[in-house]
Formats: sequence, structure tokens, C-alpha cells
Amino acid sequence: MNPVVTGVGLITPIGNDRASADASLRAGRHGLTPVEFFGNPDLPVKLAGQVKDFQVDSPSWRDWTYPESYDFPKEVLRGLAPHGLYAICAVEQALRDAGLTPADIAGDPETGLYCASAGSAMLLHHNLAAMRAVRGLRGNPLGVVSSIAGTLNFNLAAHYRITGAVCGFVSACASSSHALGYALDDLRLGRLRRAIVVGAEELNAESLLPFAHMRALSRQADPRLASRPFDRDRDGFVGAGGAAVLILEHPDLRRDRPALAEARGWGQAADGHSVAAPHPEGAGLMLAMQRALKDARLGPADIDHVSAHATSTPVGDSAEAAALGRMFGAGGLRPPVTATKALTGHGLSLAGIMQAAFGVLSIAGRFMPGNPHLVTPSPDCGNLELPRAALDQAPRTVLSNSCGFGGSNVSLVFASP
Amino acid sequence: MSQPSSSSSKSALARFPADVLAAYERYRASGDPEAVQAVVIAAVLDYRPGRSSASPPVTASTRLIEDLAYDSVSIAELIFFLEDLFDLTISNQDIMQVRTIADLRACVVHKLAPRPSPPGA
Repeated sequence: MNPVVTGVGLITPIGNDRASADASLRAGRHGLTPVEFFGNPDLPVKLAGQVKDFQVDSPSWRDWTYPESYDFPKEVLRGLAPHGLYAICAVEQALRDAGLTPADIAGDPETGLYCASAGSAMLLHHNLAAMRAVRGLRGNPLGVVSSIAGTLNFNLAAHYRITGAVCGFVSACASSSHALGYALDDLRLGRLRRAIVVGAEELNAESLLPFAHMRALSRQADPRLASRPFDRDRDGFVGAGGAAVLILEHPDLRRDRPALAEARGWGQAADGHSVAAPHPEGAGLMLAMQRALKDARLGPADIDHVSAHATSTPVGDSAEAAALGRMFGAGGLRPPVTATKALTGHGLSLAGIMQAAFGVLSIAGRFMPGNPHLVTPSPDCGNLELPRAALDQAPRTVLSNSCGFGGSNVSLVFASP
Repeated sequence: MSQPSSSSSKSALARFPADVLAAYERYRASGDPEAVQAVVIAAVLDYRPGRSSASPPVTASTRLIEDLAYDSVSIAELIFFLEDLFDLTISNQDIMQVRTIADLRACVVHKLAPRPSPPGA
């Protein structure tokens, strides 16, 4: 038994619902917009994948604005970080997409919640600074639950009355793929019959600029040049915020509902190499992909489409290309490889599930996104098949990769149901 | 001579109607405890749980928990807001005595009263 995906929720730089994200992927339309932090035009960060129609720059939820179609009481909003607002909106969407209401999951011991978040550095800093300003006398009573890394699971579990399982994942850019993998396992082990899997990240100076200090960000101001995975002239990633949600269900739970895709398998492995840099040959990622295929009972020739982690950093894309080259090239295989971060930017904790959701859209919508920003494929990115425009071809299977700090690697396999 | 309100207090009241800010300025200028009432009511309504769009009528006898669905977190938020705004300290023991808006106003006024002279005097 493999779970099926029955609902998708998306608040992303390329669209705030499934239909608009689908259209952006097909058109190769990016969501990168100019950004300036601290009023400092000298910062080397010019672009970000920002969510539209939400204004969540303030540390106070009272100042936030967001689409009127979402309506939450104050006791919900007060515990949220900016990315928590994205997340709860994406959960609302995903439930609707799956034909569920909050009442269907409230108190249901068969429904679990799996979240990935890095927390809110902005809120953490704001709350601690406020506490210091009054010499510890008082502080935001919800400062902890709104800002630490478990903020999504704390708040969403309470709001939706989740009773089956609640957990969080913190493997940085692999974390929401880990959340999907462990949710998949719990469903296959019969522990639960439904999993709500959430990844979210906010986009602000506190979340993004530290990556500039690591020299990991693109310095380009032109969106087409800034995020161009696998290109010879790529110079770093572009940050992104947003939220993505997938609802996984046991296939017998609601046979009347059409499934969007089958969650076929997953694998993980680690590089054992560096705190920040990937293994130069993608050793851990290679093993993660092999394990994912074994779990999915598939061979490399069965993979129709690869959704690469590729963030547009020189070393990261090179390592993934090396792993993909060994994985598929050895058998003379060249499945189309897409790096959707060209359009969205890199969403860190959000990245894995956003990519997985795009893979589900590809399967359900019978297309493969392209690599519209690619100009000159990099010589160190091997002999990958990198279509520029979206392909009007229906993938039966999608392999989706994620890589995080500390060398953690996750590969997920989705298939047509 | 009036004491100018701090910019942080003005900023804390920025989301409130103009008459609330005016009442706060009146308190700052004169120390008039009557002016505290409008600020307390506005803060109680602002920190009340529920959707912002719903604004129930309140009187001095309106109860925070029973009538306005206040919980421990929203009470803490309300108290911290008033402490920062009026630069005073309200203890847990004080809070335990507060049931209605009138109780809260009395608590704030009582805390403000022991000052040697009204602000700006």
C-alpha cells in the first residue's frame, strides 16, 4: 500500500494557489522581485522570491495584511510567525482541495501533522530584544511558540485539533522532504490513515541575509540571470518565502476522491563530509536516490522526470549533476531534469515540499516544467537533459531531490495513481 | 506644563482611533484618571480573542473572561500592553482581582495614583 496525494496547498512566489502555480510552471514565469533590506542599497542581495498579496514584514501580526478570503481569529494569529500565516493559508487550501473541512480532521486519531520550519529568526530577535529592553521583566507570552523551529507544528496542531501525531523536522533545506518521507512511512506502517505535511519559510532580512554572509546568494539584479541552476554562469541562490502543503491519505480512506498522485517511496542518506558544502560527487544524494528507487520498487529507467534540488550555487548544482550523471547516465538514460528554483528561488525549509508539490502538479497536469533561465549549460553539470521550455509530456513518475546543511539528502518518488 | 508622550507610546496606540490617542495625551498632560478609561476600554477590545471584525458593546461591568472570552494569554498580552503604555507594573496578584473592565481601570488608576505628582506637573 502506498498513500495517495489528495490535496495541495500553495502560497508561493509563483502563485498563491494550485492553478496559478501550475500556470507559472507551464509558462516558465518566475516570481522573483526586487528586494532591499535595512534601506541599504549596498547589500549584495537584489532579488527574492516573495509571496504576493501578503504583507508580513512587521513582527506584530496586528500589522499584517493578507487576502480577505482567509479569516482567522486573533487567538490563532497571535501565535503565528509570518511563515505560519503562509502555512495556515496553505493548509486551508489543501483541505479544500482534498474535499475536507477542518471538522473532518479535528480530534481524528487517524490524522497526523508533519511540519518543517526553521522558525522565525525575525520574531526571535524581536522578542528577545523587547525582553532585554525591560531587563527581563516581561515579554510576548507567545514569543516562544511563535518563533522557535516548532512554531508550525505547535500552532497548526492546536488550531486544527490534530490528535494522531504531531512532529517537526529541522534538516534545513531537506526538512520538508524529511517530513514527507516520515509521513509516508507512518501511513504505510498503518499508524495513521491521513497526514498533513507542511513546509514554510518566511523571507526577510533575518532569514535571508545570513546566507549572503556565507557567500551563498546570487548578486544579480536581473531575475533571469540570478537563479539559473546548472548554468555555467550561475552565482548563487535567490531566497524565497512561502508555504506548501500536501495531504497524504491511505488509498482506501476515500476511494470516491480522485488522487492526484501516488507517494511511491523515499530514501535518505548523508554525505558525512561538511557542515555546509555538499560532497563534491553528490555521494549522499546518490545513495538517497538509490534508496528511494528501491523503496518505490523502480529502476532508473522507470523515472520519467527529475525535479532537481539545484539551487543555482556553483558547488551544489555541480554535486547534484555528478550524482544524477552516475544514477542515470551509466545506463544511457537522460530523463528530463528541471530545477524549479529558477522560478521560485530557494525556499530552504519550504523547498522540498514545494518541489514535491510541483511534481504532483506535473503528474496530475501531465506536463514537465522547463529550465527557462538556462543559457549555457555548465560543463561541470554533466550530460543532463535540461529542457528550456515546459514539456507537454505526461510523466508517470517524478523523482524529487532535496539536500540540506550537514549533508542530509532526501529523494522522494511520486507516480501517477 | 505638559509632558510629551513618548514616541513608543504613540506608536503603540497607532492602530487605535484618534479619540483613544487623544485620551491618552490628555492623561499624559493632566494626569486625569478619567482619561484612562477610554484607553483601557480600547485595549480590552483590541486584545479580546475572536475575529477583529466582531466588536461587541462593552460597559464598565463587562467581564473579561465570561463576556469577552479572554484567556490567560490574552490577559497577559493586555496587561503587558498597559504596563508598557503607562509605565507601571501590575502583579499576578493584582490581575487575580480583575474581573471586569471597571476592575481593570481601577487597578491601572490605583497604580498610577501613588506617583508624587501628575506627569508633567
